[in-house]
Amino acid sequence: MLRDLAEPALRRCLALVPVLLGVSLLVFAMTAVALGDPARAMLGQRADPQVVEQIRREYALDEPLYVRYLTWMGRLVRGDLGMSYHQQRPVAEVIAERLPATARLALAATLVSVAAGLVAGVLAALRPGSALDHLLMGAALLGISTPVFWLGMMLALAFAVWLGWLPVSGYGDGSWAHLVLPALTLGAIHAGTIARMARSSLLEVIGQDYIQAARAKGLSEPLVVVKHALRNALIPVVSVIGIGLADLLVGAPLTETVFAWPGLGRMLVAGVGQRDLPVVMGAVLVFAVIYVVANLLVDLAYLVIDPRIRRAR
Amino acid sequence: MVRVLLVLLAWLLVWTGGVPAQKPGGTLRGVFNSDPPSLDPAQATDTTSSAVIRQLFDTLVELDERLEPRPGLAERWAVSRDQRTYTFTLRPGVKFHNGRTLTAADVKFSFERAARGKRPWVFEKLVGAPAVIKATAREIPGIRVVDPLTVELQLEKPFAPFLYLMAYDASAVVPREDAERLGVAFATRPVGTGAFTLKEWRRDDRVTLEAFKHHFRGRPLLDRVVFRIIPAEITRFNDYKAGTLDVSDIPTGHCRAVKSDPAFKGHVAVWPTLGTHAVRFNVEKPPFNDPRLRLAVAHAIDPSGIVDGLLEGCVIARRGILPPALPGAATGVTGPAFDRARARRLLAEAGMPDGRGLPPITYHYNTSDLNQRIAELLQAQLREVGITLELRRLDWAAHIKVVDEGSATMFRQGWIADYPDPENFLTVLFHSRNIGAAGNTSRYRNAEIDRLLDEADAMAAGPARLKRYQEVEQRLLDDGVWITLYHYSSRALVRPSVKGLERSPLSSAPEFLAPLRKVQLD
Repeated sequence: MLRDLAEPALRRCLALVPVLLGVSLLVFAMTAVALGDPARAMLGQRADPQVVEQIRREYALDEPLYVRYLTWMGRLVRGDLGMSYHQQRPVAEVIAERLPATARLALAATLVSVAAGLVAGVLAALRPGSALDHLLMGAALLGISTPVFWLGMMLALAFAVWLGWLPVSGYGDGSWAHLVLPALTLGAIHAGTIARMARSSLLEVIGQDYIQAARAKGLSEPLVVVKHALRNALIPVVSVIGIGLADLLVGAPLTETVFAWPGLGRMLVAGVGQRDLPVVMGAVLVFAVIYVVANLLVDLAYLVIDPRIRRAR
Repeated sequence: MVRVLLVLLAWLLVWTGGVPAQKPGGTLRGVFNSDPPSLDPAQATDTTSSAVIRQLFDTLVELDERLEPRPGLAERWAVSRDQRTYTFTLRPGVKFHNGRTLTAADVKFSFERAARGKRPWVFEKLVGAPAVIKATAREIPGIRVVDPLTVELQLEKPFAPFLYLMAYDASAVVPREDAERLGVAFATRPVGTGAFTLKEWRRDDRVTLEAFKHHFRGRPLLDRVVFRIIPAEITRFNDYKAGTLDVSDIPTGHCRAVKSDPAFKGHVAVWPTLGTHAVRFNVEKPPFNDPRLRLAVAHAIDPSGIVDGLLEGCVIARRGILPPALPGAATGVTGPAFDRARARRLLAEAGMPDGRGLPPITYHYNTSDLNQRIAELLQAQLREVGITLELRRLDWAAHIKVVDEGSATMFRQGWIADYPDPENFLTVLFHSRNIGAAGNTSRYRNAEIDRLLDEADAMAAGPARLKRYQEVEQRLLDDGVWITLYHYSSRALVRPSVKGLERSPLSSAPEFLAPLRKVQLD
């Protein structure tokens, strides 16, 4: 099985190179060509023209765009993400400070969305057409369509300001209490999609002959669902979880802003505002790597879940 | 006998707490809306950084709540008869956080270092400073170390607000050995003489300061200050309501509600600051190279919809260009009043009756909910006289680029004074030598105004100087170069338990620039 997994893993890793090249080129061009001079953005309301010129020279902003891109790529190959214009520190250091917070939030949000989504999907599929089904699918629809910013504010108002059970915002000292509301907010985006996909996929599988056979053997319904139906229904759900990571990444800057969570998303938003190109490029690269790696893991999960795919290879 | 008893009673009252005792200790929980980019006085350009720098470093001079210069690191100073030489005598025994004693050589080093930094204009008046700013010299000859406790600063020509520059945080004194040893890292590991030291800086999360026990004024009353970094104003408000912040700002659109909410009784503090929100024109380009059109726009705008409607009366109604809180701002100055009939007459005089023949004007503004709503209001008001506005919203970096390079014809751009003097508004914003990024984004050139400003800048402080600025301000308003919409205020929430937090016009919530060494918690 390990050999089965190694080949696609390697192929995916190689595919990562052109993906990252494409993403970096696109983002570099978009950010650099967009209106705004990083040197001027750095100097506040009163800028000395000599200082603006000096900063432009210092950061090679007066070079042609392709020269700047090639210089950046050259450094990247050597593992150097450059210096932040705004913070005057290595971008790698800036990212390393924030990556743990984002990873923690993304992981917790994924757990929330997968757990809530699967449980709701399975319960709804067990009683299709029932009041419970309508209630859960209604809630799923609400989760999908509610803006992250608004949901975050409402949760903070209810659980932090009115009830006082949880902190309003911040990272605290890394305590779980600070993680709950951001993870719920970010997880809610995706829990609805997983719930709906799990329900429809499970209903399709439950209607198949081998499930009827299992029931005819006298197996209990929970055993039939969990052991026989769910495993086969998981393939499309796992796909959705992988694709849904993109939603989490999109939602991260907003969630991190609402909850003052010191993560990569907030850093990216601030970097764009400050025209801090090296920071923006670094953050986008990290997001791209996370996305590609997550999808690789999803592909590998197919192989683990469904032996037929392994055999087909 | 009765008199003796009364004296005894009075003495007892004083002894037992008739006068408030200063209670040291505690942590002040403040908040910023963004992470400070740099804690190096030579590199910072934003108010968030300044708010921390002011606690970590000291300057030769300080400004009190009424913006009067008071002794800081310098215990006294003398000004020469020709107003060009300032001699500062330093306090003896001032300690840096590293334990070394401050000397006049540190002042010279710090100023020359900062002149090569991001706010060189603070030092440009010193003899020989332009060469250091241009990086063609290392030393400023206008700074002379007379002895370890005396430093003499010589100006090219008299400049009345010079003491304000010495109170500005770019003029903070740093120890040479740490600044040179740490280089760029000094921005994250600052060492000063201030009442607080940097204990911890968790990026995008919090900045923690700790009391410096050997501060030259004695140990500050607070043990610690924690500034949380919370970008969303509604989150800051929720944190304040939940009791996790001691000071914060009032979110946009909540001012009236908060002021009338009994839960916030004794918490709300609104005070005028040194800023003006304005609409400017590029006066070099048609159509606003014609003053009649500029004035037509000015007369068509009714700022009461912004002040009373959008901003709930929590800002200062417009007067002139200078904010009323600026010392020396004249009361007699008047700008074009809201008068649609006059606006229509001016349009007709310019050959564009009811706006016929006037192409749609693009109005540029930077992204914010308030700016968006103001732009929509202006669009509706100008439509009434036949002027069509097309709205163009850009984020700050993009906005400032089109404004600086002169490609925006009509745009929003306010101004907040760096120091409390009319020169910092009028000369910076309207002198022809400052065209573009240096401040004069209206690209206004008027030799007579330049001459008046040059004269006023060099005059000794006093009524004659202020009268000269008043004349300039009135002429600029009459020329329709600038339309004031309102003057800024600070809208803060401060817990009643927080005592001694100065509400200076230079200080604006949530980034209080006030000295926190004076703050104590009940």
